[in-house]
Amino acid sequence: MDRLPLKTWTLRAAWVGASLMAAAPAFAGEITIWCWDPNFNVAIMREAGERYTKAHPGTTFNIVDFAKADVEQKLQTGLASGTGNALPDIVLIEDYGAQKYLQSFPGAFAPMTKKIDYSGFAPYKVQLMTLEGETYGVPFDSGVTGLFYRRDYLEQAGFKPADLENITWDRYIEIGKAVEAKTGKKMTTEDLNDGGMTRIIMQSGGKWYFNDDGELDVTGNAALKGALDTQAKMVKAGIVKPATGWNDFVKGFTSGDVASVVTGVWITGTIKAQAAQAGKWGVAPTPRLDMAGATNASNLGGSSWYVLAKSKEKDEAINFLGAIYGKDIDFYQKILADRGAVGSLTAARSGAVYQQSDAFFGGEQVWQRFADWLAKVPPVNYGIFTNELDNAVTANLQALIAGKPVDAVLKDIEEQAKTQIQ
Amino acid sequence: MAIFTARNRHGGLKRYYDVNGWLFIGPALVLIAIFLLYPIVQSLTLSVYSGRGMMMKFTGFGNLVRIYNDPIFWKALTNTITFFIIQVPIMIVLALIIANALNNPKLRFSGLFRTAIFLPCVSSLVAYSILFKSMFSVDGIVNRTLIGLGVMDQPINWLTDPFWAKVLVITAITWRWTGYNMIFYLAALQNIDRSIDEAARIDGVPSWGRFFYLTVPMLKPVILFTTITSTIGTLQLFDEVYSLTEGKGGPSNATLTLSLYIYNLTFRFMPNFGYAATISYVIVVLVALLSFLQFYAVRERR
Repeated sequence: MDRLPLKTWTLRAAWVGASLMAAAPAFAGEITIWCWDPNFNVAIMREAGERYTKAHPGTTFNIVDFAKADVEQKLQTGLASGTGNALPDIVLIEDYGAQKYLQSFPGAFAPMTKKIDYSGFAPYKVQLMTLEGETYGVPFDSGVTGLFYRRDYLEQAGFKPADLENITWDRYIEIGKAVEAKTGKKMTTEDLNDGGMTRIIMQSGGKWYFNDDGELDVTGNAALKGALDTQAKMVKAGIVKPATGWNDFVKGFTSGDVASVVTGVWITGTIKAQAAQAGKWGVAPTPRLDMAGATNASNLGGSSWYVLAKSKEKDEAINFLGAIYGKDIDFYQKILADRGAVGSLTAARSGAVYQQSDAFFGGEQVWQRFADWLAKVPPVNYGIFTNELDNAVTANLQALIAGKPVDAVLKDIEEQAKTQIQ
Repeated sequence: MAIFTARNRHGGLKRYYDVNGWLFIGPALVLIAIFLLYPIVQSLTLSVYSGRGMMMKFTGFGNLVRIYNDPIFWKALTNTITFFIIQVPIMIVLALIIANALNNPKLRFSGLFRTAIFLPCVSSLVAYSILFKSMFSVDGIVNRTLIGLGVMDQPINWLTDPFWAKVLVITAITWRWTGYNMIFYLAALQNIDRSIDEAARIDGVPSWGRFFYLTVPMLKPVILFTTITSTIGTLQLFDEVYSLTEGKGGPSNATLTLSLYIYNLTFRFMPNFGYAATISYVIVVLVALLSFLQFYAVRERR
């Protein structure tokens, strides 16, 4: 049917080729992304990728699912080697480690101050991603914490949801003893080799391992002292099922072995994955320390997306993060409803999903509650040595449980930490 | 004149062999230089620098001073030496006894036993560590079995008690590596002439005497070899403790080894490549020292 001369064909082909070439630098690359947690970050990134490809069909995504420790190790190795080939275009970094990477690998991450409108994000997130006036990456989720509990177990022990509202840790321990006496279940599970619980309790008291100037704040830190004391009390009271590692910890509450767990909102997806337990769960505020300045709100984890400066698809990656994570309100509604991701884009907080009640949690308006608590989380300075301090704390926690006075333990922690942070 | 030519011809021949010889080993030498020599020299250079990530500054002996003052380093060193002192002898003796038993020609199904005992060492390091972790968890199969048998009433907190965590690591590496060492002994035993053993038996030497005074001395070179490789292996212990404790060396740093500490300094903590390199040289010195001591202990005395 077509009998066009060869010359016309060549010209057409050249024209098509040229137009493809022209579009190529902006929107035809493959964006490689490293992140962890298939039920959370990975699934959310897939959703984000699908949304972006609708408007930019040329872009493809390669989302690589690693364990968190492996992401950090590969990132650190790649950054140290100085080559860009071994690294992805976008990487997820937990907030505790953000300043560590920004300060120790200058020039490794793409500055985005002029490309992203940061005024819409929660200020504490933007602050921890900023170094010397330049902001890197796009803020993602918050780790606002809550007390997730089994309604059925608590009811069996004679407690109503109202009994768990704004309680102290001492009250939590009392309830725990009653729960075990009535149901035979432990109140909670904890991996004592992990610093998570210490960080939750400490931040709810408005403190961190470091003061605002980044100096070590251990021996005079009332919130840290309270955090250690509380954990020792819980173990001594026998309300804790000891966990060995993350999987064992998760198994503790998903299998119904324990009655409650205090952790970040991002665990919601994992809890809701147990469809048989629908309607049996409830959410209450994080217990607080019995001291001045302590709140019933805290944070655990939370992370953000960073673009590598040596990435070949740098502009496309920044464009993608800005388009989806920077302003797509509908996207934030969807990941909240599906995955329990509380984003740090403030504009997304007024969306309809925040008002919805969740049948899995007995019809509570869980998202509105988390959003309210988020506003109350005391801002602290995470500094750059959180892992070192976590290690010093977990190394000395056993001695406290064995009966060493808490002030002596704090002194030991400070001694160990001093040699580690240099 | 004649002598001169001969000498000349001899020199040419020598050069001919020299050039060809170097050409043959050249590729290997280049590879060794790139992948062995360069990293060794580079890490030595690194060890006089210190700093955060890429922000390194020259510090001279600063890292050695830091090592001296670092309680975690000493803790890791003590743990590593504890593992080595307790685990290596247990494993070597166990491997010797098993090899000797399997070498008995009257033993039936010896091939089956040999395979069964060797099998752990072909299993993946990480896979078996994860398996051990679940077997030894508080409500794992080991605790349940021991309670079921009436050995104890309370479950042992294998992974959360500092003492039992060490016991668990030693158990795990012994399980993994005994069969490996046994194979060396078996191979060596098969080279020992049976008539020696027979002659001793006819002379009325009891079996324990034949084992201690005949078999063991004849296995001495192999025992030396396995002891040194096991020592090096234990000093570099990493995979097992990493997998068992999620990279933390807990509880209370009770299972932190030097290699794991190096890993933490590089990948988990604020990256300090210089300090980590210095500690890796401590392992090198330790291995050299211990190997020398072992050679010295079993030297031929005349």
